Order: sequence, then structure tokens, then C-alpha cells
Amino acid sequence: MRVSTAGIHQSALAGIMERNAELVKLQNQIATGKRIRTPADDPTGAVRATELDRLLSESSQYARNSDVATNRLSLEEQTLGDVTSLLQRVRDLTVQANNATVDATGRQSIATEIKARLDELMSLANHKDANGEYLFAGFKTLTQPFGNAGPSVQYFGDQGTRSVQVGPSQTVVDGHSGFEVFMDVPQGNGTFYTRAGAPNTGTGIIDTGSVTNPTAWVSDTYTITFTSATTYEVRNAANTLVSSGAYTSGGSITFNGAQVTITGAPAANDTFQVGPSGSEDMFTTLNKLVATLNRPGVPASDSAQFSTEMGATLTQLDSALDHVSSVRSSVGARLSVLQSTADGRADNDLELKQSLSQLRDLDYADAVTKLNVQLVGLQAAQSSYAQLSQLSLFNFL
Amino acid sequence: MADFLSNGVSALLAFQRAIDTTSHNIANVGTDGYSRQRAELVTRPPDIKGNGYVGSGVQVATTRRMYDDLLAQQVRISTSSFNSLDAYATQMDRINNLFGNTTTGLSVSMQKFSNALQDVANSPASLSARQVLLSEAQGLAERLKSYDSQLDGYGTQIESQITSETSEISTLAQGIADLNQKIALAGAHGQPPNDLLDQRDRLLDQLSGHIDVSTVRQDDGQLNVFVGTGQPLVMGGEAAKVLTIQDRYDATRQNIALQTGSGSPVEITANVTGGTLGGLLDFRTQILDPTRNALGRISIALASAVNTQHRAGIDLAGNLGGDLFNIGGVEVLKSSANTGSGALTVTRSDVSALTEADYRLEKTATGWSLIREDTGAAITMTGAGTSANPFIADGLSIVVSGTAATGDRFEIRPTRTGASGISVAITDPNRIAAAAAIRADATAANTGTGVISAGTVVDATNPALRNAVTIEFLTANTYSINGGPALAYSPGAPITANGWSVEITGAPAAGDTFTVSDNVGGTGDNRNALALANALGKGLLDGSTTSVNDAASRLVGRVGVAARQAQASRDAQSVVKQESIDSRESVSGVNLDEEAANLIKYQQAYQAAAQMIRVASDLFDSLLAATRR
Repeated sequence: MRVSTAGIHQSALAGIMERNAELVKLQNQIATGKRIRTPADDPTGAVRATELDRLLSESSQYARNSDVATNRLSLEEQTLGDVTSLLQRVRDLTVQANNATVDATGRQSIATEIKARLDELMSLANHKDANGEYLFAGFKTLTQPFGNAGPSVQYFGDQGTRSVQVGPSQTVVDGHSGFEVFMDVPQGNGTFYTRAGAPNTGTGIIDTGSVTNPTAWVSDTYTITFTSATTYEVRNAANTLVSSGAYTSGGSITFNGAQVTITGAPAANDTFQVGPSGSEDMFTTLNKLVATLNRPGVPASDSAQFSTEMGATLTQLDSALDHVSSVRSSVGARLSVLQSTADGRADNDLELKQSLSQLRDLDYADAVTKLNVQLVGLQAAQSSYAQLSQLSLFNFL
Repeated sequence: MADFLSNGVSALLAFQRAIDTTSHNIANVGTDGYSRQRAELVTRPPDIKGNGYVGSGVQVATTRRMYDDLLAQQVRISTSSFNSLDAYATQMDRINNLFGNTTTGLSVSMQKFSNALQDVANSPASLSARQVLLSEAQGLAERLKSYDSQLDGYGTQIESQITSETSEISTLAQGIADLNQKIALAGAHGQPPNDLLDQRDRLLDQLSGHIDVSTVRQDDGQLNVFVGTGQPLVMGGEAAKVLTIQDRYDATRQNIALQTGSGSPVEITANVTGGTLGGLLDFRTQILDPTRNALGRISIALASAVNTQHRAGIDLAGNLGGDLFNIGGVEVLKSSANTGSGALTVTRSDVSALTEADYRLEKTATGWSLIREDTGAAITMTGAGTSANPFIADGLSIVVSGTAATGDRFEIRPTRTGASGISVAITDPNRIAAAAAIRADATAANTGTGVISAGTVVDATNPALRNAVTIEFLTANTYSINGGPALAYSPGAPITANGWSVEITGAPAAGDTFTVSDNVGGTGDNRNALALANALGKGLLDGSTTSVNDAASRLVGRVGVAARQAQASRDAQSVVKQESIDSRESVSGVNLDEEAANLIKYQQAYQAAAQMIRVASDLFDSLLAATRR
């Protein structure tokens, strides 16, 4: 084919320009270390990289969330630890006060200490976190959750609990409401409570009882009435006779799957109540304990009442300790979930980063090889052009 | 003997012409569009003698331009096509670079916004977290707006480029018409005006770079030039003008029109193909508008997803959350040719059904017809177009007011202004609705094991949403809401009332109560913030299948694919164009070596012819000497 002189120069130049453009692109890739600079370099890769970037950013946010939840749960755990030792101390004091050798003065001084513990419990329940928000107020974090309302302590928070997102579809609750921790302590043995009738004149003491046959248990308020010193009957709320029998001190009274034991010498017409457990807050338990300890307790019947109440209090304190312990174990479980999701997240992040790197980062060995090939090509094109351009028939004329 | 001398003279003259032509070629080796010329040597008519024909030398028949019309046309076609793709790809590269930045990209801004929401969820009462959220929301809105204003800026530049393209086309057309006249005059002498033809071809080449052209040659050598689908641009010595006229709907938009003589301009936008102008027009309709619409649709979906959730929550002061983002309305453009008084009010009724297309609503003799502009498909509308019963189609609600005349048209752009109209609606961080509007509590005296869920807001517009409601268990298996009729209890089944939904699990006892109430004071509640943080990942667009995040990364992918395709097409066409130029140059181009060889050839022939004169002179001298006495 004929080739025009302008065409020779043009095509040589075009070849050199093309090499130049290729070199600039490679140089740019090497300088930035990125294979994909704009979406056009690899559209699907760019979209995938965007997606991976998003997942990584999300993951680091989950890590932050997880840290926040861990901090808050740790603070709660610490506070609950204080609550546990407080309750333990109160229980020890109660056992001590229940000893017959302690007289009224001794009981009163114990009551004074328990009163102080009550205030301490109140301050623990109104604990604030680093942001100045109440730890145990539910959603109402800016409202002081516990306060005295008349003789009792009232909860002003709500039952809300905050979830924190720690994974794409995983949330962890970062605390417990004050209601759940301090208020919602099961009464009695968890199924029913027992109580001695206030005007009892005998010395009968009822224990907290237990459920022997859960399927036979019918939730109701039962009254055990002593028809004489040696016989009793059990009636439900509708005054229907449920059970009756002869009383021996320490013998168990069984009805509807429940079993209670009365010891001592109840008088005729003495009553004991067995009712379904609701919940009793810790403050009420402690307040009642203080009231019990402050009673002078002279007559024998009062002593029986005292024993029943002390027994019920001990059960209630055990229930509170159990309750706090179960809350603490749920805190522990959440902390362990946070830990394991953090581990999983670290693995996942590594994988994402590797994928992202494969997708977006430059293979230097490959790029430098290409660069060298292009450089050699450019040099060859330049020198061949220089030689070619010197050739002309006119040189020989 | 006289023949012998005159043969020599004819050769001298002919080779002188040939050397002239060679020198002309050498002189124009660098001239664009120059076609090499060649002196066509032919024998002169022979003399008839008794003993036969005797040759009478050489003469130059014509100076021929080495030119192949077919190859020249191929160059024009490939140039037109290349310039079109080049203009398209150049513009596309800008958009590609705009969306390509991975540190300031759209999905980065969205992620920052989501993360800020998560931080608010971590600490809903923290004003600093709320302030950061507002800043990130502003950042996201600004990012969307800045993309849109960049695209808008490209659009404005394209409009002015289109205007300058049309004036250049007009100038070139006039130049061709002028040359046509000169060529017709010059050609009347019977010899081709080679250099004028080259000039005209060069103008044609340039013209084909701006717009696709086709040519028809007249007998007198004049060339008629047509653009588009046969619209005459140059007819002999007359050139038409290519103008821009305002779009009937959008005054900021230029359309292309052709004006012949003093006639009125005829719009040819839809017929224009090829060349830089064709590339720009293609880019405008195929990339720029859809990209702005896609961006607008993402903005609308984002605002809608966030606002819907935000309205379901309450802020720190206990008020129901309003909109977090403001969003622009639907752009409705009325044709300037409308004769009736009809006007449209168009609102978005269903974000999930919105498309990225623009629409044209036309009053027909029997009613209204809606055409989707990108596909040209007719869209079925339900409703009557009244405010009580509006037309509903593709997520739009259209209300017609006034009296439209038959043939009146409106352009509806549902998503075009979405990105430019987005802004953050609140400035007070306390107004961020991080808490849910309601809370659910169990009563302390409950003896059963029933547990109530935190509750979710289903319908934030229910006026009774935040009223206190008591759910009381009449027996272990039935409950009543606010003392209403007994309902059967099934653990975990949703219980709904007043626009909320809660679930109770476990075994509640008779007499147990649960309350659902206003979450006022719930400063630590983060349920709505969490829901907001996840709103961008939820399916919303395209019939609730595409999330805002998906739509954003899809847009980037789409831009990337289009840019890559544009680059590839341009590169491929560049090769085609170069090949066609090489083919033409192989016929028309000057090769200096060839000219050098010709020069030597003609020089030697000239010298030989001169020798012939000398021989004639010698012969004449010897004859004179022989006859001298």
C-alpha cells in the first residue's frame, strides 16, 4: 500500500502517544497503589468495592456500639456486685437478729444499720453513668428512678430497655430497668408467699413452704385456720374447703400441690395465709425488716409473728439475692455475646479487607512488569521513529 | 525534421509541467486535506504520412487530482461517528470522575449518616451525638445537592457547546456553498479546479466532525449536502442555517432547527445524528437526564425512608418527630404551545413505584394520555384527574385544573429536582426523634409470668397513638383492651390498637395488667434511632425491592459501565477512523520519496528532451555547413 509521508509521521506519533497514555495510567496506578481509580476502570469491581467499604464502615460502627454496650454493662455489673454484697450483709444481719440471744436493744441497733444499708441501696439504684444518665431508669434516663413516696419507695422510671446494634441483624440489650432489678423480685418462694395472721395469739410459726406438685397447684389465696389447737382447715378465697387435718408441730400441711410447715403451738382461730406470689421490691423488704426489728416483741404470740416475719424476710432476701444474681448472669451472658461477636467481627473484617484489597489494590509486580514493557516499547518507538525520519530520497539527490 | 524539433519542445514543455506539479506536491506535503496531483501525459495526435503515422510528441492532458470519492466518504462517516463517540465519552468521563471518588462518594456520606444515627442510638440523650447526626445529615444533603449542581453545570456547558456547534455548522455550510459557486465557475473551463475541490472536501471533512452529513454531486460539480435524515443543508450555492431554538417545555434547553433562506426554522433535533453535536445530544438524553433523575430518586427515597421513620418517634421534648429532610416537589413544565388554561398539580403518591423516567401528559380528544419519554410507552392511569380522584400512575398523583385544549401538553419530571431540593428540615438537635412514641409496661402486682414487648409504632398518624391503654387479662386465656370485649390470648401474637403493636409472651394470670402509654420522658429510648439507622438498608424503591444503599451503589455501577462502554466505543472507532484516513491517504497523500523519484524521472526526461533540441540544432548546423559555399 502507498503510504503518505504525513501518514508515516502521524502513525509513528500516534504509536508514541498511545504508549505515553498507557504509561501515565500505569504510573498513576503505581503511585496511588489502586487498581480501580474510577468506576469505569472496573464497574462491577467498583460497585463491589463500594459495598465492601460500606460493610467495613458498618462493622467499625458495630464495634463502637459494642464498646458502648460493654462499658454500660460493666458499670451495671459493678453496681449489681455492690447490691449483692449489700444484700448479703443485710442477710447476715437478719440471721444475727433472728438469734434469740439478741434482745430488743440489739435488734434496734441492727435495725439502724439496716436503715443505713437501705439508704445505700437507694443510692445504688439511683446510680448515674458517665453521661450523667440514670443507669436503672429504663428509658427515662434523665428522671431519678427511685424516690421516697410516703413510707414506701416508688419507681419513677419505666420498664424500657435499650438495644444496641452489634451486627447486621444482632442487637444486645445494654442494661436492665430499675423495675426489673429492684422492684420485680418474686415474693415468697416464687410461687406463693406465706404469712401469719396479725391477731394470732398462739406461737405457731409458718415456713415459706414449697410446691411439691406444680401441676396440682392452683393459684389462689388460701387461709389456713386452726379450728382448734390440734386441727386445721384450708379454705380458698371463695371460702371453699380445700383440705383439713390434724396438726402436729413440724408436720407438713399439704394442699393443691403446695406444702407448708407450721411449728409451735398455734391457738384456736389462729390463721395463716398462703397466696400467689406477686413481686416485692427490695426497699419494701428492707423497710419491713426494719419495722419488724424495731418492734418491742414481748408477748409470745408476737415472738411467733416475729419468727414468721423473720423467716419470710430471709426467704425474701434469698429471693432478692437470687434475683440479682440472675440479672447479673444475664449481664454476664450479654458481655460474653459482645465478646464473641467482637471476635467474629474481627475475622469478618479481615476477610472483607482481603477481598477489598484483592479487588481494589494494585498487583505491584504485575504493574511494574507492565510498566517496563511499556517503557521498552516507548523507547523502541521513539528510536525507530528517529531513524525512520532521517530516511529520505532527497538526501541522495 | 521540424517534427523532431517540435517533439523535443513538446517534451520540454510537458516535463516542465510535470516538474511543476511535483513541486506543488512537495510544497503541500504538510497541507491538510491536500490531494496529490499528477500531470497526465498523453501522446499528441500523430501525423499521417504516406508511410504511416508518425508520432508528434507529448502533451499534458490535464492535471489530475488523486482522489477516491468512496474513500473520502468513508473518512467522513468514520470521523462523524468518532467525534460523536468522543464527545460522548469525554462528557461521560467527567461524570465517571464525579462519582468515582471513593472517599467523598455518595455511599460514604450515607454510611456516615447511618453511623451517626447509631451513635445517637448508643446515647440518645447526648446532645453532642445528636449534633453530629445533624451535621452528617447536612453533609449527606449537601453531597446529593453538589452532585446535582455539578450535573446541572455540565448540562449548562453542553447547552452552550450545542449553540457554538450549530453556529460552526452554519459557517461551514456557508463556506461549502461559496466554494460550490466558485467550483461551478472554474469548472466551466473544462478542467477540474483541483485545489478548490480540495478546499471543499476539507470543509466537508470538518463539517462531518460536527454532524453526520451525506452528499450528492451535481453535474456542474456542485455538491449538495444533507444532514440528519435528508434535511438539506447546502443546495448548490445556497446554504441553510442551523440554529438553536428554545425547548417548548424547558426554556433552559436548546433544540436544533434548520432555517432555509428566510423561511421559518424547522426543528430537527430528533433527526440529528453523528458528529460532536450528535454526541452531545445523545449524552444529554441518554446520560445526563437519567443520571440526574436517578440521583433525584435516591434523594427522594432517602428522605421518604428517613422521614417516615422519624415521624413515628418522639424527640427529647416528647413531641412527635416531623420530617428530618425537606424534599423538592415534582417538576411540571407546560408546553409553550398550549392554548388552554389547563394546569397540573403533581405529587408523589408512592415512592416505591417511582421510576427514573420523565413523562409527557397530553390532552387528547377523548381524555388524557400519559407517555413515558424514555421508552415512548403509553402508561395506563387510574382515576379521573380530579382532586378527589386524581390520576394515579407510576407512583404519581396528577390533578388537572383549568380547561386544557386538545393537543395541550405537559412534561412531568417526577425525580429531576429531587437531589437539588433536599435539605435538612430541623436545626435543633433536641428535635431528633430518637425515641419511640409509646412504651409498654407490666404492672408490678402481676402474678403471672407474662412479659410485654417494647412495642412498635405502626401508624404514626393515628391521633390516639399516645393515649394510655390498659390490657387486662380477664382469665389466663382472654384479655380486654381498655375494658373492651374479651379477646383470646395467644402468646407472641401481635396485639394492635391506636396505631401501635405489642406482643405479650408467657403465661399471664387473671387480673394481670399491662399498660401501653406515651413514652414522654423516654430520653434513654433509642428504638426509633435504631430503626432510622436501618432505614437506608431496607427495600424501598422498585416495588420495595431496592434499598437506598443499593440504589446508590447501582448508580455508581451504571455510570462506570456507561463510561467504560463509551471509552471502548471511542477507542474502537478511533481505529476505524485511522484506517479510513490511511486508506484515503494511500491514494491522496503525498509521499516525498515518490516525489523525489518523480523529480529524478522528469528531470532526466527534461534533460533528454533538451538534448534532442541540441541534436536538432547540431543537425541543422551540419546541414547549414554542408550547404555553405
